[in-house]
Amino acid sequence: MSSSGRLVLGVVIIVAVLAGVYALLQSPETANGPAAPVAQEPVTIGFIGPLTGDAAAIGQNAKAAVELAVEEVNKAGGVAGRTLNVIYEDGQCTGKVASNAANKLINADNVPVILGGLCSGETASFAGAAEQAKRVVLSYCSSAPSITQAGDYIFRDYPSDLFQGAFGAKYVYEKLGKKKVAIVYVKSDWGSGIRQVFADEFKKLGGAIVAEEGYEQVARDLRTQLTKVKAAKPDLVYFLGYTEGSIVGVKQAAELKLGVPLFGADGWDDPKIWSGAGAAGEGAMYTVVSAPLSDAFKAALKAKVGSDEVGLCSAQAYDGLKLLAQVMAKAGTDGTAIKDELYKTEYAGGVSAAKIAFDANGDPVEANYAVKAVKDGKAVEQK
Amino acid sequence: MDIFAQLLANSVIAGALYTLITLGFNLIYGATKLINMAHGAVAASGGYIVFFLTQTWGWGMIPAVFAGVLGAGVLGAVLDWLIFAPLRRRKARPPVVFTASLGAFTVLQAFLAILFGAQFLALLPAEAADTVSVGGALITSVQLATMGLAALASVGFFLFLRFTTFGKVVRAISDDEEVAKMLGVNTDRIVRIVFFIGSAVAGLAGIMIGLDTGIQPTMGLFIIVEGVIPSIVGGIGNMAGGVIGALLLGFAENFGIWFIPSQWKGAIAFGLLTLFLIFRPQGIMGRK
Repeated sequence: MSSSGRLVLGVVIIVAVLAGVYALLQSPETANGPAAPVAQEPVTIGFIGPLTGDAAAIGQNAKAAVELAVEEVNKAGGVAGRTLNVIYEDGQCTGKVASNAANKLINADNVPVILGGLCSGETASFAGAAEQAKRVVLSYCSSAPSITQAGDYIFRDYPSDLFQGAFGAKYVYEKLGKKKVAIVYVKSDWGSGIRQVFADEFKKLGGAIVAEEGYEQVARDLRTQLTKVKAAKPDLVYFLGYTEGSIVGVKQAAELKLGVPLFGADGWDDPKIWSGAGAAGEGAMYTVVSAPLSDAFKAALKAKVGSDEVGLCSAQAYDGLKLLAQVMAKAGTDGTAIKDELYKTEYAGGVSAAKIAFDANGDPVEANYAVKAVKDGKAVEQK
Repeated sequence: MDIFAQLLANSVIAGALYTLITLGFNLIYGATKLINMAHGAVAASGGYIVFFLTQTWGWGMIPAVFAGVLGAGVLGAVLDWLIFAPLRRRKARPPVVFTASLGAFTVLQAFLAILFGAQFLALLPAEAADTVSVGGALITSVQLATMGLAALASVGFFLFLRFTTFGKVVRAISDDEEVAKMLGVNTDRIVRIVFFIGSAVAGLAGIMIGLDTGIQPTMGLFIIVEGVIPSIVGGIGNMAGGVIGALLLGFAENFGIWFIPSQWKGAIAFGLLTLFLIFRPQGIMGRK
């Protein structure tokens, strides 16, 4: 026999043996019938949020809230009798990283649903891939207006910045009576999106935007941006930033003696900013999505994370998980079925809103905002 | 406020930080021809040592800063001993050594994140910083100190390399390591010391950044970018060129965004780098 012939024979034998072993290993299950054990398999979904890097504080808190919701769902019998299981992936508030995480969840873990991402840049990075693979995405924190058009399978239970930017502009113009505003914004989907809406609405009301200065998310030196802002002599600075950049920026604004009030958006709803910025942050105000937050939820989350802190989107993450569990119990674990059911669902009694329902774009139908002001290093809701 | 004076100050502050990073980077490059990626993480470690000593052990700021500088220097020397010296002995090719330094960078960064967490930490308590007005520009005392230290370090490096025997040996190795070795120079020992000094200055940069804004494990990557760009612009390995490059970058960034929208600040640094790579690849002062 020629050597190539021997090789072919060898390969054939190996394949045959492997096939035999495989069949033997498979047989007990087939003998029992496939239906029963499959139903007992856990339902696995994915979670994406920044667990390290910028915004990790918000991401870790949201993760804890999701873990809490998972425990409660499983204690109450799981999803139609099956255990609910979540795979947590780190998106680092960065498109590239989140996109890799989503690819892993979709292709390797084969999850029907991704709860996430947190940052708008995360969600935007994998919305296309999820849409193509017919997997549902439910973001619990992404507020960039562009997410509205991200696709049929893309939902969020957190309102679009279209609401928040307009609310902020109205509040600054009418309630605070400031007519000349400078904008400092982080260059991200979130920062750029909300800045646009704010500027448009503020001008429509009759106000003037005297400066618009952007900065990279990783920048820690905003002195020149703030120098330009100061030279423009605004009545107020509308500052859109994440935790780290905001601590630095708020401090540098004080160092440069800007001397005008600072007004921010929901990115500022992180106690770390106000403990980090200290005296420089006194009097700063920001808009935040107002959530009812039941006492039971607050107590349970406190038991989990060890502090009173309820992160920016933890309530939405918690409700998102519960909502998905409810939908999957009814529609099963097929992405398309879940999507169709989500559009029809109305979820009541949540901790993030009295009622969650989605419009034709997968956006929440309603949004409520409140304004918080920083006093003695703590953000207090304004009446 | 005088906007011009403030922009001038902002430029010099940024330039001073870049100088501290570039000096050490260039010194190590000169002696080893290594683009040392670990440099950024070593700088960050300096900041973290100060954080640990002041917050956990209750040290005063001044002794902690000295310990941080020293600690970063030792860390650099240890990296050389553990990783770069064995590779040199094996005559590893530059891409291999570069990759090893990237590995060291990643490990150090992960280590910092495990020990201290990924969040942003301030080295100074969160009180409003004391600012002084210098010719119409508002500058904090930390920023003044940074400028002073950068000037001191630049002059110190210059004198050291020019007038001490050790400096001459470093320059000899930088010109040709093989010949220096043949002439009886213990190159391994000299390079170890070079790593110590370069890393100590990097540690100082990390500490000053930490005092001015704050520290984060991931800060190393931006530190290395801020070290490499001035170095290439000035002429890689050339100490004086590095200082000029650092100041040029500081001025280009801060005055640049006076004229163009500030969201392009990051692009200015890389634009400058690209211009030099195309039109003057040897840098302002020429390659060493």
